[in-house]
Amino acid sequence: MAFYEENPGQITGADIVVGIPTANEVESIAVTTARVDKGLSEYFPGMRCVIIDCDNHSSDGTREAFFAAPGTTPRLYISTEPGVGGKGRNIVNFFQRARQLDPKALIILEADIKNISPVWIRNLGTPILKGAGFVCPLYVRHKYEATLTSSIIYPLFRCLYGRRVRQCNVGVYGFSPKLLDSYLNPPFWSEMLDNYGADIWMANVALASRLPVVQAIMGSPKVHRLKDSYLHLPVFFHEVVGTIFDLMQVYQDFWKQVKWSKPTALFGTDLQEVETPLPVDMNTKRLHEMFIEGFDNYYGLWEQVYGPMVVPKLQEIRSIGLQHFSFPTQTWMTILFDSAVAYRWMSPAERKNLLDGLLPLYLGKVLSYVKKTERMSLQQAEDYIENECMIFEENKPYILKVWTKGEGG
Amino acid sequence: MPKILVVDDEEHIRLLYSEELKEAGYEVITAENGFKLLEKIEEEKPDLVVLDIKMVDYNGLDILQDIRNHFYDLPVILSTAYDTFKEDMKSIAADFYVVKSFDLTELKKKIAMALETRLPG
Repeated sequence: MAFYEENPGQITGADIVVGIPTANEVESIAVTTARVDKGLSEYFPGMRCVIIDCDNHSSDGTREAFFAAPGTTPRLYISTEPGVGGKGRNIVNFFQRARQLDPKALIILEADIKNISPVWIRNLGTPILKGAGFVCPLYVRHKYEATLTSSIIYPLFRCLYGRRVRQCNVGVYGFSPKLLDSYLNPPFWSEMLDNYGADIWMANVALASRLPVVQAIMGSPKVHRLKDSYLHLPVFFHEVVGTIFDLMQVYQDFWKQVKWSKPTALFGTDLQEVETPLPVDMNTKRLHEMFIEGFDNYYGLWEQVYGPMVVPKLQEIRSIGLQHFSFPTQTWMTILFDSAVAYRWMSPAERKNLLDGLLPLYLGKVLSYVKKTERMSLQQAEDYIENECMIFEENKPYILKVWTKGEGG
Repeated sequence: MPKILVVDDEEHIRLLYSEELKEAGYEVITAENGFKLLEKIEEEKPDLVVLDIKMVDYNGLDILQDIRNHFYDLPVILSTAYDTFKEDMKSIAADFYVVKSFDLTELKKKIAMALETRLPG
C-alpha cells in the first residue's frame, strides 16, 4: 500500500478512476490534471469520477500543483515512501487504491504528455464501460517512431498472443476491474517492472487475460515534454525485452495454443481531424556503426546462442555496407526466438549479457527498416511491417520447436 | 461444414463466390447489403463473413465496425476492387482483405487461415 495519502474529499467510491503516475512532474501535472478533469466532465457527466496522482514522493511541488489544477473532479494523492522510486511502484499503489473504490473503468496516463486531449479520456474509458477489458491507444506515429515496437514488440506479440495491437508499449491504457484483479495478483514481478518494463507488463498481462481488447484511435501523436530516444536506450531495451522474455515463460501454456492472429475492435473512428505525425530523424551512419561494433564485443556470444544459419548470415549482412544494408526478417525472427529460448535457461548475469548482445542486432534491424522504407509513405511502411509480422506468424512452429530445448534435462 | 456469409451488392459476385466456395466445401449464405445484417448474423451464426467494402448506400468499413463491436471474434475478410481503403484506419479491424478477382485462390487461402486462427479461451 501507499506510504502516504491525502484524500481531502473523503472519497470512498468511484465509477471511473484515472491514475497519473508522477515523479517530480510539477511542470506538467497541473495541465494534465485539468485536461483529464475536462474529459471526465465532458464525456462522463453524472458518473462518479476521481483522479489519483500516484507519486514517487516528489520534492518539486507536484502534489501541490496537482491539487491546485483547475477542475471539479475529486482528487486523491498517494505516494511511495521517500527514497522509493520507479513507475512500477506507482502503478501498484494505484491498482491497490483504485480497487478500494470499486470502479467500473480505470484509466492510466503519463504526466509528461504535452498534448493530452480530453477526447483521449473518452476514447480510453468508453470501451471499458461497454464491456472491453483493455483499451490500447493508436496514436498518430511517424514511420520511424517507436522502432522497438515495430521491430520486436508488435511482431512478437502478434505471433505469441494472437492479437494485432499495434502500439502496446505506450503507458496510456484503459482497463476493466476484472483486468485490475489480474494486475493485483500478478503471475510475475521483477525489478525491471519498476521502471521501463511496467508498460509492456501491463499490455502483456492484458493480452494473456483473454479479455476483449479495443484499440482507440487518438487522432494525434503523443508528445512528451522531455524525450531523448538514445539516452536511456540500453536500459529501456533491457527492461522491455527482458520483461517480454520473462513473461513468455509465465504464459507459455497460453501462447503455445495460439495460431495466427486476430484484429481487435476499434474505437474513435468518428474523429474527424487527424493530425500529421511529427518528423523523426534517423542517424543511419550511427546505427550502422553500432551494429558493426557489436561484432567486436559480442561475436562469441552470438556464436553460442544463435544457430549455424544465423552467424554466417550476420557476417554476410556486415559485408554489405551501409548503402545497401539489409537485415532479412527471417534472420531477425530466428535471432529473437533463439534469444528468448536462451534467456529462459540463463542466470541473471548471462541474461544481461544476452540482451547487451541483442541490442546491436536490433539496431541493425532498425537500420534495415529505415533503408527499406525511406521512400515509402506511412501506409506503405505499415504494409511492410504487416508483411514482417506474417513472417513471424508463419514461423510460429519454429519457436514451438526450439522452446522446449533444454527441458527435462 | 463452416458457414460463410458473403455480403456484396453485385449479384454476379455473390453467385461466383457461392458456387466456388460451395465447391471448396463451405456452406454459403449471402446478403446483398448491410440492411439488418447484424440480425442475420445473429440468426444464421456464420463462421466467417466476406464483406464488400463499396456497396450502394452502404460503407463496408462501417459495417465492419458494427460486426466487430457485436461479434468480437467473428472473422471478416474484406473484398475490394482497390486497396486504397487501407488508408482508412477502420480497415484494421478486418482479419484479412482480398482484391476482387475471378480467381478465388487468394480468397480461399485467407478463408482457410481465418478459420484455423486459434486463441485460447
